Amino acid sequence: MKNKFASVYFSIFGLIVLSLGIAELIIGIAGRSFTWGILEISGEFSLWKGIILFFVGFFYLSSVKNLNEIHQLAKNVMASIMLWIIAGMQIFAMITESIPGGEEEGWINTWEGFLSAYSPPYIPALILLPFSLVTVYYVYAREK
Amino acid sequence: MLDLEQRWELIDKIAKRTIKFGKYRHTLKDAIAEITVKPLTGIPIAIAVLYGFWAFFVAFAGFFTDGFLVKLFDMHWLPWLQEVFPAGKESWLYYIFVGDPLADNCFEAFGMLTSGLFVVIGVVLPAIVAFYLVLIVLEDSGYLPRLAVLIDTVLHKIGLHGYAIVPSILSLGCNVPACTACRILETKKQRFIMRTILAIFIPCGAQLGIMLKVIPETVGWVILYLLAGYFILGFILSRIVPGESPELLLDIPSYQRPTFSNVGRKLWVRTSSFFTTAIPFVLLGVIIINVLHLTGVIDWLATGLGPLLSGWFGVPKETVGALIVAFLRKDLAVAQLSAIEMTKYQMVTSVVLVSIYFPCIATFVMLLKEGGVKGFLGSLAALVATVFLYGGLLHLIWILLGVA
Repeated sequence: MKNKFASVYFSIFGLIVLSLGIAELIIGIAGRSFTWGILEISGEFSLWKGIILFFVGFFYLSSVKNLNEIHQLAKNVMASIMLWIIAGMQIFAMITESIPGGEEEGWINTWEGFLSAYSPPYIPALILLPFSLVTVYYVYAREK
Repeated sequence: MLDLEQRWELIDKIAKRTIKFGKYRHTLKDAIAEITVKPLTGIPIAIAVLYGFWAFFVAFAGFFTDGFLVKLFDMHWLPWLQEVFPAGKESWLYYIFVGDPLADNCFEAFGMLTSGLFVVIGVVLPAIVAFYLVLIVLEDSGYLPRLAVLIDTVLHKIGLHGYAIVPSILSLGCNVPACTACRILETKKQRFIMRTILAIFIPCGAQLGIMLKVIPETVGWVILYLLAGYFILGFILSRIVPGESPELLLDIPSYQRPTFSNVGRKLWVRTSSFFTTAIPFVLLGVIIINVLHLTGVIDWLATGLGPLLSGWFGVPKETVGALIVAFLRKDLAVAQLSAIEMTKYQMVTSVVLVSIYFPCIATFVMLLKEGGVKGFLGSLAALVATVFLYGGLLHLIWILLGVA
């Protein structure tokens, strides 16, 4: 039952990731930007992030059949790791941009400037990040 | 001294304490290790890893350079130096050490203590640290040998094999250790091809850092153009250079977590060698170029080589100064280009020219040391032909696109 739930979850999640990957890829090729609520697709490396996200979605979808099998699970884990790389680098970039001050602020950013660096909109990988952590739970539960 | 029986007893004792017997179980780690070398899954993973590599490099270097060091050098160091430097602003000493008295940033001042120090400490050092940090983590985690296996088929097309990825990636940090790393390849032919294409087409970490600062919007295209050149020249050399290109037999270690002490030690060894090799060359380079400017040699060369530079390559004749500097340090040469007035396309051509034009003097010495006189002359011939053909080709592309 647990396995079936995981398969359904990653099927839906994989489809969402794949769709966002295709959207980011198209927007990246067109050189445009797109904002919808807290979601933003723009900026540097959109094309590359789109390609990676597309494969992440593809890996999730291809792993759902017999997810408990070790090779299928490896694909699922790897998809999550790829997603964490994009999201992790985005968080790292946010941190590095939030600390130094601008030309007027001096060496260190103001409190408002620091907080604004973490405010939305966010790239797709960052929004998808919490949902991908289910992989960690699944691996942990399986090991037990 | 142990006799034979005692030795066997000792072996038994060690074996009992160190070897575990049981049924082999395929773990998740093993399965992940497998999918990272299979092309269908391994290539997308490699794209993600290399994206992470580049994104970390940009964010880390940007944090230190744009966040703090630009401010330190432009708002504090330069004004202080302009105020306290003992020689008068018209003197040649001031010109050599501080540079342009009207400059308001270290990038354009072009004195030894202004641009020289800023390039080394402010721009290149963070880039080098970021690059080596990620490279060491990839090495120690066991991912690099997997990348070698993955790229083996592609590199066979240019007469190399998967392990050529090691000098290629090392070269993105510095060409000098990369030339030594070419020893990893088995035959003379492979080593020659690798040394030649890395010296011409792979920009070092210092150069990448400066490129990011000078041409941030077009750096991706420049790298793509250089990458294409890497494969084209490799393909040609693999066809014309006699010798063998054997298959790759590689023992892949399992994935493991890098330890802080190992990463720290390796990072220190690699970056400290940057201090001893790069800093003297950059500072010397600024002095030489400023002396050449003062004595009128640069103007004389610019006039002489002007028709070639503007006619064949489509770049302003003033780039001759940067090309001379490029022989000492390429990062410094790219920095110097930023001070010359030119179009975006001329800037891209100039940066490509500086990259593929003669490697820096330290790499030159390594080419001679590793390849001998014959190999060195061969690399040199390939280099001269490539500069003219590839540089001219880029100009032709701009003409066809109607932007030159």
